[in-house]
Amino acid sequence: MRHVTTRVALIAGIAGLGMLCALGAQDMRSVWDGVYTEAQAARGAALFDKACAQCHGPSGEGGGMAPALVGETFSANYAGQTVADLFDRNRTTMPVGREGQLSAAQNADITAFMLQFNKFPPGETELSNQSMLLRQIKYVVER
Amino acid sequence: MSRTKLRLAMVVALFACFAVWMAVGVSGQRAPSGTQNGEWPNYSGDIKGSRYSPLDQINASNFNRLEVAWRLKTDNLGPRPEYKLEGTPLMIKGTLYMTGGTRRAVVALDAKTGEQKWVYSLDEGKRAEMAPRVLSGRGLSYWTDGKGDERIIYVTIGYRLVQLNARNGQPIPTFGKAGMVDLKEGVVYGKLVNGKWQQVQIPLVEGEIGTNSTPLVVGDTIIVQSAMAEGLRYEYTNNAKGLVRAYDARTGKQLWRFDTMPGPGEFGHDTWENGSWNWTGNTGVWTEMAADAEAGLVYLPVESPTIDAYGGNRPGAGLFGESLVAVDLKTGKRKWHFQIVHHGLWDYDLPASPILMDVTIDGKPRKLVGQPSKQGWLYTFDRLTGEPIWPIVEQPVPQSDIPGEKSWPTQPFPTKPPTYSRNYLAKDDVIDFTPALRAKALENLKKYRWEEMPFVPYVIPSEKWLGTILVGNTMGGVNWEGSAYNPETGIFYTQANNSAISGASLSQEYFETIKPEKHTPNHIAIWEAPGFAQPGFEAPSTSGYRAATQPAGGGGGRGGNALTEGLGGLPIIKPPYGVITALDMRTGTMKWQVPHGDTPDAVRNSPLLKGMNIPKTGQQGIVGAFLTKSLVIVGDPQVTAPPDRPRGAMLRAYHQETGKEVGAVWMPAAQSGNPMTYMVDGRQYIIVAVGGGVYTSEYIAFTLPQSDIPKPTTSSQR
Repeated sequence: MRHVTTRVALIAGIAGLGMLCALGAQDMRSVWDGVYTEAQAARGAALFDKACAQCHGPSGEGGGMAPALVGETFSANYAGQTVADLFDRNRTTMPVGREGQLSAAQNADITAFMLQFNKFPPGETELSNQSMLLRQIKYVVER
Repeated sequence: MSRTKLRLAMVVALFACFAVWMAVGVSGQRAPSGTQNGEWPNYSGDIKGSRYSPLDQINASNFNRLEVAWRLKTDNLGPRPEYKLEGTPLMIKGTLYMTGGTRRAVVALDAKTGEQKWVYSLDEGKRAEMAPRVLSGRGLSYWTDGKGDERIIYVTIGYRLVQLNARNGQPIPTFGKAGMVDLKEGVVYGKLVNGKWQQVQIPLVEGEIGTNSTPLVVGDTIIVQSAMAEGLRYEYTNNAKGLVRAYDARTGKQLWRFDTMPGPGEFGHDTWENGSWNWTGNTGVWTEMAADAEAGLVYLPVESPTIDAYGGNRPGAGLFGESLVAVDLKTGKRKWHFQIVHHGLWDYDLPASPILMDVTIDGKPRKLVGQPSKQGWLYTFDRLTGEPIWPIVEQPVPQSDIPGEKSWPTQPFPTKPPTYSRNYLAKDDVIDFTPALRAKALENLKKYRWEEMPFVPYVIPSEKWLGTILVGNTMGGVNWEGSAYNPETGIFYTQANNSAISGASLSQEYFETIKPEKHTPNHIAIWEAPGFAQPGFEAPSTSGYRAATQPAGGGGGRGGNALTEGLGGLPIIKPPYGVITALDMRTGTMKWQVPHGDTPDAVRNSPLLKGMNIPKTGQQGIVGAFLTKSLVIVGDPQVTAPPDRPRGAMLRAYHQETGKEVGAVWMPAAQSGNPMTYMVDGRQYIIVAVGGGVYTSEYIAFTLPQSDIPKPTTSSQR
């Protein structure tokens, strides 16, 4: 019995390690790993046009009042953060005056489009609309 | 005493009484006009736009020892946190007054401890939601009768002029209606009624007008500016017409109005050709103003007319678009004007407070007004006559080939002082870190209309050109953050963006929505568009721009287009990306120029530059500096994470004489609002607004450690 328990404990331990490794591997993901799809970014572009472009410009180049969503200053703000920080910023504070009125899925699409116009590559899976999961994707400026 | 002596004594006594009365009348009754006594009673310190304080407790020897005295996080001042706090506090008699939060709340704090004294905010509902100028704004104004009546003045997001009792934050019941004046009343726009153009009242909720800037208080007069939505991507030819109004500081009664687009019969009306005055709007004054109280003149920096980058619907020079206008303080009548850009097509609207400067030039005392600009020039005039101090020469400029556009053949080029930031891309300023990078950059530039001068017009993308190379329009040079001037030395200082380069174009798709044939004769304002403000209403589409800015390439997580393709995300323009410049106004020459801000991470870490020794590049972006007796103080416009300190930005001090950086203190985020300084109970403080990205806004107050503060002397300074 004792052996069985030990074995179970060992197996559980190994499984736990495996999960930790998997989480560790997830931690390694970054915006360079194809974290959104082309189709999602295209949906995001249409939304961005209506909800964001008026102030930030059609490709996020910024206006006199609204900051650019591309370029050095923008990159510097998010470098070392996670995609969740960007997603949550969009979700909770934008568009000004209509905060929180876009759905989580719409915010994910817009965030995908922002990653696209910042020239991060698309991939096979869509960007999640769950902030907790987006915390696993690092915003890394340099590849 | 003989009769004669008695008479003489009486005359002397009477004269003395009169002198005392005059002194009280001039200095005792009025709001403190400047920073001489350690206060900061106006947005710019004084009403001349100086942003100068003679304080010197914080100086080159101790700047590095500054500590955080206290901070004010503004998250809970509105319904959601703010990330773009642009405010500069006022400090009067030991109390700080500032705006903050997404509802533009007014906050009063103890200037020594940061303890809250009162808060005021107004929920304006739909009217604020639809406002063109939102968030907390740049700050407040102050008025006093000198006898204990002290009032804080501001403009709400929904464009109401509000007066509060400075002691308790309660509205002044005798001002306007219950403490406020509805600034939307009296604002007009052009409307075709039964086939005839009329100027009619804008709707009070949807009508597009507001301001982020602070009213200017000169004696007992409050002057209020006007701003609309940004016009670069605007589809509608009509909008509210710009205006500046003056109000009685005691009652809120309107004293005068100056229409920035002169009506029929007025000087300048004929500069709006083909009847374009009827429908065109904007042309407001969206930034800070300045005044010469002695001369009784107010200086108005006027912005662009409707649709910034295309003038086919507004042919003509378009006065007073993009002009500096001096008006009479008592009547609002125009005294002189100078149009800085004719028939503007570049968003070169006048972005910053004019600065009043008294200097001796060639042995003659002169009264100057300088107008900082996005295009790198400080346009300098005799402020009484409007004559340029140094020649400003009309020169031929490249012409537009966009259908329906009648670009102006010439534009004014100042000859002095030299530009403080780039206003075109010179061949020598193209990236040259390596020969390969330079070659690629020059190849990219072949796809653009690139002429080595400012004022090159936009193009519609075609096989010939993808866009026009512009430096300094929209986000170049100086913006609302403005500049500063030391009245004791005659030196002007400014931070400026030196690398705002774009491949500017109007896409065919966008052009189709703004071309004159589309609007004639039914010009309308946005709030008249079918379904406006209804669910599903699309704000003016901007999708047309995308085609021009979408070509693949660039990379490096910093966006990219045909202009930056193959450059590894590095700017196509050489450093310095951002600068601080000192101009000697006695000679119209540059005293020094230094890069401002750490080298951005993206440049410092670029794999293409590995192993190279890149000198400090400075940073792109625009931030406002202020001056103490000996320092220029300004924060970084960007966050960086160099190896020697935590991720953040620095508040830096430069020596005014040499430009040498003499100290820096760490901040958790970039500077978002102009810093100021004051002294209370013998201790000097600096306050700066920071925020942006994922960091919500806050004001941070810095001061020296107690051990650095000199022991109080008999005359305590407040």
